[in-house]
Amino acid sequence: MSSVEQAGHLPGLPDEAIGRRIVEHRAWGETVAVALPSLSEDQARALCGHVRTRARETLRRMETARIVEAIDRASACLLDRAHPLRRKAETLLPVVTGYDRETVRLGLTSYLKTFRRPQLLRFLAEDFSNPGVLDGFQPAVKGGFVRARGPDLLLHVWAGNVPALPLWSLVAGLLVKAGTIGKLASAEPLTAGWFARLIGEADPELGECLAVTWWKGGEGGPEAVFLAQAECVMAYGGNDTLAALRAKVPVTTRFLPHGHRIGFAMIAREALNSRRAGPLARLAAHDIVRYEQQGCYAPQMLFVERGGPVAPDEFARHLAHELAALASRHPRRRLDPGEASSIAAWRSVHEMRALDGGAVLLGDPADPWSVVLLDPATGLSPSGLNRSVAVVAVDALSDVPALVAPHRAYLQSAGIAAAPATLFRLAEDLAAVGVTRISAIGRMTAPEAGWHHDGRFSLLDLVTMTEIEASAEAAAEGFAPYAD
Amino acid sequence: MRFRDRAILVTGGSRGIGAAIATAFATEGGLVVVNYRENAAAAEAVAERCRALGGQALTVAADVTDPAAVAGLAAQITEEVGRLDAIVNNAFAPYRFDPDHRVRFRDVPWEAYQRQFDGAVRATYTVVQALLPLMTRRSGAAIVNLASDLVARPSIPYHDYTTAKAALIGFSRNLAAELGPIGVRVNCVAPGLVYPTDASRDTPEEVREALIAQTPLRRLATPEDVAGPVLFLAGEESRFVTGQVLTVDGGLVMA
Repeated sequence: MSSVEQAGHLPGLPDEAIGRRIVEHRAWGETVAVALPSLSEDQARALCGHVRTRARETLRRMETARIVEAIDRASACLLDRAHPLRRKAETLLPVVTGYDRETVRLGLTSYLKTFRRPQLLRFLAEDFSNPGVLDGFQPAVKGGFVRARGPDLLLHVWAGNVPALPLWSLVAGLLVKAGTIGKLASAEPLTAGWFARLIGEADPELGECLAVTWWKGGEGGPEAVFLAQAECVMAYGGNDTLAALRAKVPVTTRFLPHGHRIGFAMIAREALNSRRAGPLARLAAHDIVRYEQQGCYAPQMLFVERGGPVAPDEFARHLAHELAALASRHPRRRLDPGEASSIAAWRSVHEMRALDGGAVLLGDPADPWSVVLLDPATGLSPSGLNRSVAVVAVDALSDVPALVAPHRAYLQSAGIAAAPATLFRLAEDLAAVGVTRISAIGRMTAPEAGWHHDGRFSLLDLVTMTEIEASAEAAAEGFAPYAD
Repeated sequence: MRFRDRAILVTGGSRGIGAAIATAFATEGGLVVVNYRENAAAAEAVAERCRALGGQALTVAADVTDPAAVAGLAAQITEEVGRLDAIVNNAFAPYRFDPDHRVRFRDVPWEAYQRQFDGAVRATYTVVQALLPLMTRRSGAAIVNLASDLVARPSIPYHDYTTAKAALIGFSRNLAAELGPIGVRVNCVAPGLVYPTDASRDTPEEVREALIAQTPLRRLATPEDVAGPVLFLAGEESRFVTGQVLTVDGGLVMA
C-alpha cells in the first residue's frame, strides 16, 4: 500500500486538529487508502461559520464572470492529462470505484468538458434570461428591478459512485454564489475534494467559501450541526436515505432531493434495418456499460418495436454480443455480494417467466452481462444493474408511455431512436407521464451542459428573487434630491 | 476438459471424419450430438465411444438437407440439451474420390453439381437456420464447416464436389460477417485427402503416393488430424478468429 490520500477540502480548520477515518479500497489488484475527514460538532460548527462568513464577505461581491473563470481553470487542470491531479485521478479512481481505467479516463473528460467557460455560460443562460441578476438588480420586463441570491450556506449530500458526478451540484451552487459545504459519498470520496482544492488554487478567496467533508450518515453529531446550519440542502440517494434526511432537516430549510430513477430506451422500427441495428446496439451497450448503470440516467429496459427488418429478438442478440465485446475493453468492476445477489434475483425472476415462454435469457450467470428478451411486453421494472438489461418487444412504441406511466416517480431519462415525427409525438406522451429528459441512444449517460436534472432548474431552484416593484422605484423618485 | 458443459452438434457423425471429431469433443468433456442419416448402429457405436472417453453423447437421425428433419433435430436438441455451443457441418452428399473413374467435365450433368450444393451449402444453411436461435442464447458460439483443400488446389478436378465446397467457403465468410455482431463465429477447416475413410477408399495407392511426395509433412491426413483444428475453431482458444479457412493437409496447400 502506498501513501494515504487525504479526502476533502476544509478551509479555516487547522489540518492537525482534524480527525481522520481511514478507508481502504481494493480493485484491479491494488489498494488505495483514503483518509476521510471526521469532524467534531464544534469543528462542524466552526466550518459552517467560516464558509458562511467568507461567502458573505467575498463570494457575494464577486462578479459571476470571476467564478466562471475559476471553475474553468479548475476544470482545465483536471482535463490536462499531464496535470499531477489528473494523473492521480486516473491512478486512484479505478481502484476506489472499481471502474476500469478507460471508463474512468473517458468519463472524467466527458464530465469536465461540460464545466468549461462556454458551457458554464450556457448553464447560466439556461436558467436566467439575464444572468446579470446574480450580480445586481436588473430591470424586469414587467417593470421594477429584480435580483437573484443563492443561499448563504448550501449543503450538498452526495451519493453513488459515478466519478465526478458531485461536480454538477457543486458548480451550480458556486454559480449562484452560495457558501458551499459538500458531503462526500464514501464510494467516491476524492474528486469533489480535488476540484475544490483546484478552485482554491485558481482563486484563493473562492476556495475559502467552499468546503468538502464527510460524516457517517444517520449518527447525529456533526450531521445534525450541518443540517441545522444549512439554508438549503441538496441531497442525492435512495428514497429511504432521502426520507430519513428530510425528517432531520428543519422545516424552514429548503430541501431539494434527487432520488433513484429508472432510465429506459425506445427503438423505432425505422431504426432497425440491417445497416442501422448493429451500430444502435453498440450505442445502447455503451449506455449500459458506462458506470455499470449506477447513474440515474442509465437505461434498464429497452423497448424495441416490432415490424422492422431486425426483430426485437435479433436486436437483443446484437446487444448481448456488444456487451460481451465491450467487456474485454471495459471489464465490469467486481461486484459486492449485494450487487451480485440483485443480479441473481433479477435473473431468477426472468427464469421463472422463461418457463411460460414469456422470456428468453441470453448469457450465462457467469457472464459479466445479462440480457433478457421479454415478449409479450411487460411494464417498466428495474434491472439487476451492473450490465443487466431487458429488451421488451412492443407492437408499437406508442404503447410505451402506458407501460412506464405507473412508475412516474422514478422516471427521468429516455433514450429514443426514431424518425423526427415519431420522436416529437412520443416526447409529448412521455412528458405527460413524467419523463424529463430525452436523449439519443449512446448519450444517455452524458447529459448535456445546462440540462435540467429531474426536470428542475439547477440554478433557479437554488435562488430566491428579490424584486423592487415599480411602485417603489416610482415612489423613490419623489424623494430624490433632484425631485421637482 | 475444454468442452465440459458445452454442447456440440456434429452432422454426419457416425463415421469417418465426423466420428473422429465427435470423439475428440467427448475426450474434452463435451456433450456431443451425433447426427446421422441411416446407420443407427454406427452412430450409437460412436456415442458409446464418446461416453467411454468421458463425454456425453446423444444420437439423432436426420437428413440435414431436409428442413422438416432438421426442425426435428433442433427441437430434440432444444428439449434434451437446452443449449448449443458449436455446430460442425461435416455431412456431405455421398461422393467417391476415385481419380481413375472421375467424371470429365463434358460428362458432368448439372444435377451432379446440384446434389453437391445441396449436400454442402443447403445442408449447412438448413442446420444453421434451425439452430441459430438456440445457439445465440449465449455469446461465443461457433460454427465450423468442413471444406476441402481441393478448392485452393484441385489436384484432381472433382468438379461438382469442389465447386460446392468453394461455395461453402463463400457462404461461410458471408455468414461470419453477419453473425459476428451477434457473437457467432464461422470458420472452415479444409482437409486434404483424408485416408482411410469410406469416401477415399477408392483413391489408388499411386495417387496417394504422389500426393504424399508433394506434401511437406510426408503423409496423408487421418480423421484424427482433422479433429484438432475443428476443436480449436469450435472452442474458446479461437475466440477472435472468424471467416477463416484453416487448411489441414500437411502443407500441400500454402495460402
